[in-house]
Parts: sequence; structure tokens; C-alpha cells
Amino acid sequence: MISSLGRAALRSLDELLYGLGFFVRVVVESFRLVARRRVGRRVLVLQILFTGIEALAIIAIMAVAIGAAIIGIGHSLPVDFVKSQLMYTILIIVIAKELGPLLTAFIIIARSGTAIATELGGMVVSHEIEAYVAVGVDPISYLAAPRFLGVLVSMISLYVYFNVFGLLGSFAVVRLFMDIGVGEYFRSLFAALAPGDLFLGLAKCLVYGSIVSVASLHRGFSVERAITEVPVAGIKAVSSSFMLCILAEVVMVAVQYLG
Amino acid sequence: MEICPIIELRDVCARRDGFEALVEVSLSSAEGEATFVMGGAGSGKSFLLKTAAGVILPSEGEVLYKGKPMSRMSGREEAAFRRDSGFVFQDAALWANQSLFENIALPARMHKGEWRKAELERAVRRAAEAVGYSDDLGVRPAELSSGERRLIGLARALVLDPQLVFMDDPAANLDEAAAERVLDLIGDLKKRGRSIIAVSSSSDCVARFADRVVALKDGRIAAAGSYDEAVEWSDPAALSITGRLKGRRAVQPAWAASLAGDWARTLADDSFVVPEEGDGKDET
Repeated sequence: MISSLGRAALRSLDELLYGLGFFVRVVVESFRLVARRRVGRRVLVLQILFTGIEALAIIAIMAVAIGAAIIGIGHSLPVDFVKSQLMYTILIIVIAKELGPLLTAFIIIARSGTAIATELGGMVVSHEIEAYVAVGVDPISYLAAPRFLGVLVSMISLYVYFNVFGLLGSFAVVRLFMDIGVGEYFRSLFAALAPGDLFLGLAKCLVYGSIVSVASLHRGFSVERAITEVPVAGIKAVSSSFMLCILAEVVMVAVQYLG
Repeated sequence: MEICPIIELRDVCARRDGFEALVEVSLSSAEGEATFVMGGAGSGKSFLLKTAAGVILPSEGEVLYKGKPMSRMSGREEAAFRRDSGFVFQDAALWANQSLFENIALPARMHKGEWRKAELERAVRRAAEAVGYSDDLGVRPAELSSGERRLIGLARALVLDPQLVFMDDPAANLDEAAAERVLDLIGDLKKRGRSIIAVSSSSDCVARFADRVVALKDGRIAAAGSYDEAVEWSDPAALSITGRLKGRRAVQPAWAASLAGDWARTLADDSFVVPEEGDGKDET
């Protein structure tokens, strides 16, 4: 029992160290991709198109709904929520600092995390990765680095969209309860917004984007031979991305509020 | 002076899914030589080929290219090796999300960055024509039959006219005309002194082109030697792998097209006799 626990712990440690090494390699290759003109740029553009642009509609709908829900729930409270400065503070906390980055990451996990893992897994099974190696193309620099950068860029862009649509959605609902101009609304909102809030939101985007892309890439490359491993890689990419993002959120919240 | 083998494996071991796919494999192939690996299903021959080509890393031992261990090659040396070698996969392994043109062009894009667009297009079209593919190169691999995909895989491997070609059962599962064209191309490569390391399940193909034969069983080399030695093998273990190989005989390949220099050049000499003796490089 103890020895099997020890073996499992060693395996996990081994996997963690491998994952960290993989992460460092992907980051280094991403810098090289940015610094030099390399063939992976087409893959980068396609990744941004798929992850960042095609997810716009779902992000907009979700953000508007959440912004509206915050105002709706606040309005049902005994305090005069809509007229107080508290509304703006809560909107900033929920949309810009906490839920915005996390929900954006969840949407990217559901759409792009599975896509990256299953696409790469399929390429492993059909020997396409070996074919890249055989012609002298490094799969990390050609396949992993552009996807990593694409997810990061998309994550930040979608986070900005989430904020814009979330705050517009909340404004639309606020207008149902009180007569407030768009100028006044956004002036009060920006008064509640500290530069640190946006910085924190962007930092979270970088952390979640790195987690989702590296976990998905790692799971995709981990497929060995059978086509049946491909959907499993997709599922594992999703579950490990969710788990790691939530873990990272807990750590960051602890540092932010308790530190 | 000792001639340095173009590829050498020294005590190579490799694992796959927890079991030993290759066990202490040592072999070498000289420049201009055609080495054919034969073995039953699951014997590790494709694994051996990929390890020799540096596509799969061995867990133990060393693979050397022109005397230099691949594990210690600099980036520039590795790029030179990739530029000078081509790999033909058994299942073509074309990139599904790229057109046939892009599939064939990528090695050139990687290693011939100085080529202009017109040069690149010319090289791609020549390679496609050399393997007998004359249809639209703008389509994706999914639109082709498996035989056509394999021909495009061959074109990709040959687009830079490499010095060393790795081939994984290049003529298997092709229709008769396509198989004959592939065999012609192998003959042409050999005639032009290119080094070939191939896996083949066809004793006819081995009889036609092999200078050296390696018999592989359960990841171990059961027997290895020149083709003439292989013809004389009497060990049941080796014979169970290679079958009784026939002695050299004259063959008449249809040398329809050549990859030499100008790809369109047709060889004047369209007969090819593999010698009875020697290293198999003297053709008449």
C-alpha cells in the first residue's frame, strides 16, 4: 500500500517535472517565433481566428447575461443597490477581476483545449508529427509555440470583449430601473476601477491561457498509437485545464486578499 | 582508408509501450548502398527505420550519421542531415490540413529558403511528375486514394533529391503500375549512387535492389549480410523471415523518367542488370 502510494507520488512528480520542462520549451520557442520570421506564423493566425474570433459570439452572450444578472440580483436586495456606488464596485470585482478571466478561460478550454488536444493526438496517430521531424521541422516550434501564443492572444482579447459586453449588459438592465446616462454610468464605473484591477485581470489571463494551452498541447502530444486515445486526450486536456485553472484561481485569490 | 558508413546503429535499444521494440541492434550502411530490412509483423522493422532516421530517439545506444552521433549534432548539422535525407512513410503520413502542393513543398521551404517561388513550384511539380502524379496539387490528401497518397509521400521525400532515402515498405499495397513506378524510382536512386535504407516485405524488391539484407525478429537482428550472403543463408530463423532469396538476375525496369539533374531527363540506357558479384554498384 505504502509502496504503491510512493510509486504514484514519484510518477506524479515525474509528470510534473516533465510538464514544467515542456512549458519552458514551449515558452522559449514562442519567443523565437516572435523574434524571427518562421513558418509557424500561419498556424498562429489560424489559432487566433479559431480561439479568439470564432468564440466572440458566445463570449458576448455570456458576458451580457452575467452583467444583467448582477444588476437583477442586486436590485432584489433590500439595499438600494442600483443607486449606490456598491453596484459599480461589485461589477468591477465580478466582471473585470474574478469571473471575467475565469469564464473566458472556461470557454477556451471547452472550445480550443479539446480541439488542440484531439488535433495533435490525431496527428500523432497518423504519423504526421513524425513526418514533421523527418523533414526537419521541430513540432514544438511549428505546432506548439503558435498554438500557445494564439491561445494567450485570444485569451486577452476575449477578456477585453467580456468586460466590454458585461458592462454594457449591466448598463442595459440598469436603464430599466433608473434613468441614468451612459456618460454618468461609465464615469462612476471607472471611478470604482483601479489600474490594479485591470492588471490583475490581464495577469490572470496570462496564467489561465498558459495553463490551458500547455495542458492541451501536452495531452495531445501524449497520445501514442491508437485512435481511441485521441478522445481520451481531449477529455484529459479539459479536466486537467479546469482543475489547474481553479487551483490557480484559489492561489491568486489567497495571495490577493490574504497576502 | 576506412570508409565511414552513412548511417550506423551501435547497440541501439528502444522501448515502445513498455516493451523492448529494439534490442541491442547494431548495423551500418555504407554510402551509395541499399540496405533492406526484412521481418515479420511486429518485428520492429519500421521502428528500426525511424530510429535510424532520427525520428524516434533510442533509449540506449547511438545512431551515427557519417560518423557523427545524432544525439550530439548541432542545430546546423541536424538541418544538414534533414536536408540530405528523405523519409517515405508506410502510410504516407501526409499533413491532412495542407494541400498536396504544400505537403511536397515544406521540406524545400525549410531547407531552401533562398529558392524563389518559381523555383519552388518547379521542384514540386517535378517531384509530383516523377512519381506519376499529374492531377491537381491544390487538393487535400483526404481526396486521394491511399495509393496516390503514398506516391505524394514519396514525392515529398524526393523533392530535394536527397543523398539518403529511408523507405518504409515503399511498394506495398500499391496497384501494379504505381508499384512498378516506385520500383523504377528506387532503381534510379540506386543508379545515381543514392544511399537507401528500406524496409520491405517483398523479396522481389529486395532481390532487385538490395546490397545488404538485415533480418529482424522480435527487435533483434537474426541475420545480416550482403545480398549474396543472404541468398546462401541456411539458418531456419533467418529463412523464416526472408524466405529463400533468389540469386541475382537481370531485370528490365521501365526507366521512364529520371530524377537526375533535370527531372525530366529520360535515361538512355533502359536495361539494368544487377551484378552477380561485388557490392551491387556496378550497373551496366
